[in-house]
Amino acid sequence: MTSVLSILVSPLLWLALFSGIYGLQGLSCELDLDTTTFAGISAARALLGAAWLAAIALQATLLAALHAGRFSPEGAFVRWISRATGWTGLVATIWTLFPVAVTSTCG
Amino acid sequence: MEPAGPAANTIATLWWVMLAGATAIFVLVTVLLALGFRSKEAAGDEKRQERSWIIGLGLLFPSTVLLALLGYGLWVGERLLPRDGPDLVQVQAEGRRWEWIFGYGDLPAVRTLNVLHIPAGRPVDVAITTSDVIHSFWVPRLAGKLDAIPGHVNVLRIEASQPGTYEGRSAEYSGVGYDHHGFTVIAHDAAGWQNFLESGR
Amino acid sequence: MNTLARHRRLTRIWSSEPGWKGWFSTVNHNDVGRMFLVTSFFYFVVAGVLAMLIRAQLATPHSAFVGPEIYNQLFTMHGTIMMFLFAIPTFEGLAIYLLPKMLGTRDLAYPRLTAYGYWCYFFGGGMLVFSMLAGIAPDGGWFMYPPLTSKLYSPGINTDFWLIGITFVEISAICAAVEFTVSILKYRAPGMSLSKMPIFAWYALVTSLMILTGFPPLILGSVLLELERAFGFPFFQVDLGGDSLLWQHLFWLFGHPEVYIIFLPAAGVISTILPVMSSTTLLGYRWVVAAAVGLAFLSFGLWVHHMFTTGIPHMGLAFFSAASTLVAVPTGIQVFAWIGTIWKGKPQLKLPMLHILGFFLTFVIGGLTGVMVAVVPFDWQVHDTAFVTAHLHYVLFGGFVFPILAGIYYWLPLMTGRKRFFRLGEIAFALIFVGFHVTFLAMHWVGLLGQRRRISTYAPEDGWTTINLISSVGGFILAFGLALVLVEVALQVVTRHRTKRNFWNSGSLEWAMMMPPPAYTFASLPQVKDRDPLWHERLLPVQIARGEGYLGDPVGDRRESMTVEIATGAPDFHLIYPTNTRLPIFFSAVTGLFFLSMLVKLYWFAPIALVGMAAVAWRWVWVLGQKEDLGPQPVGRGLQLSNAAEVDRSPGWWGSLFLLVANATFFGSLLFGFAFLWTVAPGWPPPVFIEPSLLAVAIGVGSGVLAAIGTFAAIRSNRRGASPTFGLLLALAGALGVAATFVFTILRMPNPTEHAYGATMLVMGSYGLFHAIVVLLMVSFLFARMRAGFLSAARRAEPAIVNLWALYLAAITTLILVAINLPGLVA
Repeated sequence: MTSVLSILVSPLLWLALFSGIYGLQGLSCELDLDTTTFAGISAARALLGAAWLAAIALQATLLAALHAGRFSPEGAFVRWISRATGWTGLVATIWTLFPVAVTSTCG
Repeated sequence: MEPAGPAANTIATLWWVMLAGATAIFVLVTVLLALGFRSKEAAGDEKRQERSWIIGLGLLFPSTVLLALLGYGLWVGERLLPRDGPDLVQVQAEGRRWEWIFGYGDLPAVRTLNVLHIPAGRPVDVAITTSDVIHSFWVPRLAGKLDAIPGHVNVLRIEASQPGTYEGRSAEYSGVGYDHHGFTVIAHDAAGWQNFLESGR
Repeated sequence: MNTLARHRRLTRIWSSEPGWKGWFSTVNHNDVGRMFLVTSFFYFVVAGVLAMLIRAQLATPHSAFVGPEIYNQLFTMHGTIMMFLFAIPTFEGLAIYLLPKMLGTRDLAYPRLTAYGYWCYFFGGGMLVFSMLAGIAPDGGWFMYPPLTSKLYSPGINTDFWLIGITFVEISAICAAVEFTVSILKYRAPGMSLSKMPIFAWYALVTSLMILTGFPPLILGSVLLELERAFGFPFFQVDLGGDSLLWQHLFWLFGHPEVYIIFLPAAGVISTILPVMSSTTLLGYRWVVAAAVGLAFLSFGLWVHHMFTTGIPHMGLAFFSAASTLVAVPTGIQVFAWIGTIWKGKPQLKLPMLHILGFFLTFVIGGLTGVMVAVVPFDWQVHDTAFVTAHLHYVLFGGFVFPILAGIYYWLPLMTGRKRFFRLGEIAFALIFVGFHVTFLAMHWVGLLGQRRRISTYAPEDGWTTINLISSVGGFILAFGLALVLVEVALQVVTRHRTKRNFWNSGSLEWAMMMPPPAYTFASLPQVKDRDPLWHERLLPVQIARGEGYLGDPVGDRRESMTVEIATGAPDFHLIYPTNTRLPIFFSAVTGLFFLSMLVKLYWFAPIALVGMAAVAWRWVWVLGQKEDLGPQPVGRGLQLSNAAEVDRSPGWWGSLFLLVANATFFGSLLFGFAFLWTVAPGWPPPVFIEPSLLAVAIGVGSGVLAAIGTFAAIRSNRRGASPTFGLLLALAGALGVAATFVFTILRMPNPTEHAYGATMLVMGSYGLFHAIVVLLMVSFLFARMRAGFLSAARRAEPAIVNLWALYLAAITTLILVAINLPGLVA
């Protein structure tokens, strides 16, 4: 079971982060955070941007742990697959959430 | 597709760019497939094949193309969003089975049935609502579509470059009368719009 | 024992009852897999005929062929049948039939569940067919958007047929998914580690996990919509705190993964057949596995791309647009791995390969138009036009039907032991390929010209007449080609044109048996050393038939098999399967009575049917197990293994674990629905909250924890050889406490018909109560088993299963009670 989990953990984390930040975006529009601005950046964008960076950091940490063999999956094959899905999780977190930096928040 | 407004224009350009790209990729895949059927010598080094096919063609090639397309699409999407402008016109569209009722920000007392009057050459924000099921407000030659959802107000930016009559359709299935659930948009020139406003008062 | 005697003995043990009566009692995957496939292709024909009627209607403007009332039923049923009664069951049938053979084992993990799933599919599909024959078929479009499908705008029974019939059919998908997951992880030939598994098994595993997490949101949506229609709970009524967008979220949370649930098994078929047709191995096996896993996850981040026109903020759309483009990367990896495989080997243009080429040319176009509609502004223009209809047919026909046809021609010699006699297949392929592209290229075009999907007629002035006529002609050519395929398959079944073994010179284990496969599948289980065993050990089929593998010597009338460790493939435990029984068809009939009572509004009967289901379920598990310790069982080759009743993690434990994964997704969707209504729906917060009760929270959570602790205690004392009575009593008290808390909470709830808040609370409370009752029954069952002598220090599997359910109960009780009481406390 640890081998299966080590394959699934990174994409699972991405799914949680993706849904979480999508929810956070909905919430910050509901609370009108996009209208309060500090130094040209809206509170909503600052919040979402920080969440995005934290998400990337989290995925990167997980990937490092997978590379260090922290979950000790059995066999070279499972180790390779879990690293590949680890990279998938990291890239997906960067790619799918980068709109927090560029598009309009609640328009 | 005969675009007659800035939004529809932008989307048409997007389509032609994507069609060209898609055709190129399709031709590439077909050629690669066909070449696979040549008779060939002994197989090469599997590691190297993995690198060129999977990492090169499978991973890097689509990533590059898709990132570029995504950036382009988001940029277009941002440009089409309704933003405040000086000569903005506000109208309301309420869908119901199977007709559309239009109201006008400048003429609170006026309602028109199945005909929407707008001035040509000025951006118009349509506030879209429904009084029964879900409908969708769509004037193909002017802009994309936006749904009318119970309890929500959605705002769509449209603009007609030239005066004229444009066909509008409801684009969300709504039951037996769906086939004929449409409306007409009449874009007036400046004088015609003035006339419309005055006849309404 | 010689080979022939072994064959006879095993055949007697594993065969279903002779004659047609055997269909009703068989639990053997060889039979049930074929029953699934025949039924699903019956539905393919039905939905194909509906498609022809649609094309006949649209061929000319102002067509008077059918009116909109009938037309709406036609397209709704075409989509519904193709998705739910053809595509998914075809995957189930194919995987049921093939997986044990590919994995080198004798049957799937839960033979009776296989049969139960089939009968649920059979009866549920029957409901929908009945509605169609009676002219009261669903007519709200296959995605059933409320409020169009609410009581007010669809007062007839049509919609109920969809909601209830489809939910019934989905039971079979969930059963199959649990079964495949456990079978692939545990039920393999010894030595088959994860890295040596056939690629189709990887795809089936990924697909199964997706069904477990993708279907529950739709089941929840159907339950909520039916509750609204039946009892007026306003989940989707905006004036009473509901929101029709909630349905769209739940539906597409299922609907998008569904597309990949359909595509991935087909991709597995291609990854299996293509290398054989090219006399080589798959290029980049591990890359393909990783891509399939990545694809599965990414597909859960796409659902909002079906809702780009609903007025969600641009950033929200951008997330899903980004995810929708990213998902094309793992698809690209697979496509280029396949083309690379062709380059690596020596491809031959045999019939399955023709269909694979058909797949490439069609699916690549579907993928490219898919990327186009993933771009938000373009989707704003073409959403709900014929362009989208054409796109989805390119994806589904290209990504599913072509590969499945390739698979049918590839595995038919195995299934029948015969080969094709007439060369109809090549002509059929040409007709299908040309007909398909004529039909749907034209449809792209007319969509760009502004033709909406789902219109039943149009005017000559629209300028679509010629294109629609071309499209309809193409449709009929396509239908003719598919009819030829069916004729050829039928001919191959009836003609006696026997074929050699291992017809395509394939390397995987399904070809290591006689053809057609015997009821017992493998005379003995091989020791696997390699990903393509038949290429490297030419004598393996003979060794298997001679009983030189594991379990070659049958004991009594036992249907025996064994499992392996998940990662390494080392032997794990021995097991004895249940034999032929009518319990599955009976259980699904009783399940059907429950759904029927909901459909015809005999609500008083529904609880009776539920009690009936509980009784049959009790019987279902009661007949398993032993009254005395079996001890280590010899499995051949000098190896001894414990029996499944005498391990900590038995098949039942694994099955419960994955069923609970699906269950937790259902619960998670419910929590999401609550949060969604709260933040997005107009009319929130509700006028009154439930009066919070800290005491109820404390008692409920405490009881849940007590139930879990009780089962732990029971496990401990049972393993020491002592009586588990005390632990079981604790667990019983805990479950009763939870049940009482939920009854108390439900009684104090506001009227569920007045606001979506009350309705949501009632559903949550009932969900908790239901699980408390389930655990109550399970603990009582353990009591009965203990008294009847089924438990001992060695026979310890059953308490561990109940422990899982008790832990789940404790977790959901806590979450539900917090969700119910917190808003009132904060306010």
